[in-house]
Amino acid sequence: MEAAAAKLIGAGIAMIGAMGAGLGVGMAAFGGVQGIARNPDAASAIQTNMILGIVFTEAIAIYCLVVAMLILFVF
Amino acid sequence: MANNEQATRKWKYGVNRWVILAIIVVSVFAAGMYPPMRPHIQLPAEYLTGVLFQFPGTGEDFRLTNSMVATLLADVLILGLAIFVIGPALRSGKQVFSGIVGVVEALLELIYNLTEGTAGKWAKTIFPWFATITLLVLVANWMELIPGVDSIGILDEHHIEHIDHSVNPHTDCAINPLFTVGETQVYSVGYAEGSQVAACAAGIVPFVRAAATDLNFTIALAIIAFLAIQIIGVRAQGLGYFEKFLNFRALFAKPGMGIIDFVVGIFEIVSEFSKIISFSFRLFGNIFAGMVLLFVIGTLIPVAAQTGVLLLEFAVGLIQALVFGMLTMIFMAQATQSHHAEEEGHH
Repeated sequence: MEAAAAKLIGAGIAMIGAMGAGLGVGMAAFGGVQGIARNPDAASAIQTNMILGIVFTEAIAIYCLVVAMLILFVF
Repeated sequence: MANNEQATRKWKYGVNRWVILAIIVVSVFAAGMYPPMRPHIQLPAEYLTGVLFQFPGTGEDFRLTNSMVATLLADVLILGLAIFVIGPALRSGKQVFSGIVGVVEALLELIYNLTEGTAGKWAKTIFPWFATITLLVLVANWMELIPGVDSIGILDEHHIEHIDHSVNPHTDCAINPLFTVGETQVYSVGYAEGSQVAACAAGIVPFVRAAATDLNFTIALAIIAFLAIQIIGVRAQGLGYFEKFLNFRALFAKPGMGIIDFVVGIFEIVSEFSKIISFSFRLFGNIFAGMVLLFVIGTLIPVAAQTGVLLLEFAVGLIQALVFGMLTMIFMAQATQSHHAEEEGHH
């Protein structure tokens, strides 16, 4: 296999990890929206914590992205 | 009064609509005549100058990179804003601020309220860290949205040879410079015909590149935040702060189960150092991905689509700046709270 093709395939495989982050972000938003629906008064506090959780989860997808970009542009 | 206000707003809206339509039409024709091309995407920051000086201790070469220029620009912008805009506004004795001062006030108020809610009496110590990191990262992130950043710069022979080995920059690069300052010719990433000229145009080393697209900036900021967290922990708890990491007290007080507490402390050390990695890679990954997205969307769909991406990057820049600062603040607040005292309080 050519090195360039292997690079592209590798970058694609690295992004599979984004699947988990997608599930995680969905679950965080699910919990947040449910909490706001039950107690609309607490919406602002829930929103802050939800965004914080989403950002932590999203970091995992970002790591995948960084690895994919390292494969594409550095090696 | 209300009617009048509504009437003016309607009129303004009507004019703006036609201006925006005209810009869209012009951009359609401009994109057709001068198809945009993708700048070369490179992970390490590019060197703008030769070796300026060598570090005295290690003998390493110091060269100015374009992300360093962006960091310095962000510093200058923030200091200028503080000295020439916000300072006079505060001294004018007004109660309600408008314009940019009002925006900064709202942002700092949000930051202070968050800090006070989490850190309590330590808010006054932690707030400057939170505010400084957030403002610096915010300005540095938003810099990538300005047209000209990442796309205007000088031609670098090594850079072009690196992209396409068959191109000789001296003979093949016949693109016209944007303008010339003294001996330096300034180029813009733009329209180019033929693969050789395309390689030349993509090989432009931009003057300014968003600071957070360089890992050096984010890792340096993360190490500063990490050290500040440790220092605030020691200030709040004295040497007892390090009990979190090396829990000898538990080892002697509770033989048997104390070993578990000690091992947990070792894991705390690992998680403390992993903060540097997660801080730096989160910011770097988000902003670098944003830069690549702007490049790619700009070349794929040159008309209108980039507006949406710019809006997205505007939000990402703000959120990442707030998150970097907020996480620093939360870890600092955690460092001020004694783990031991909390446990005793529970039992």
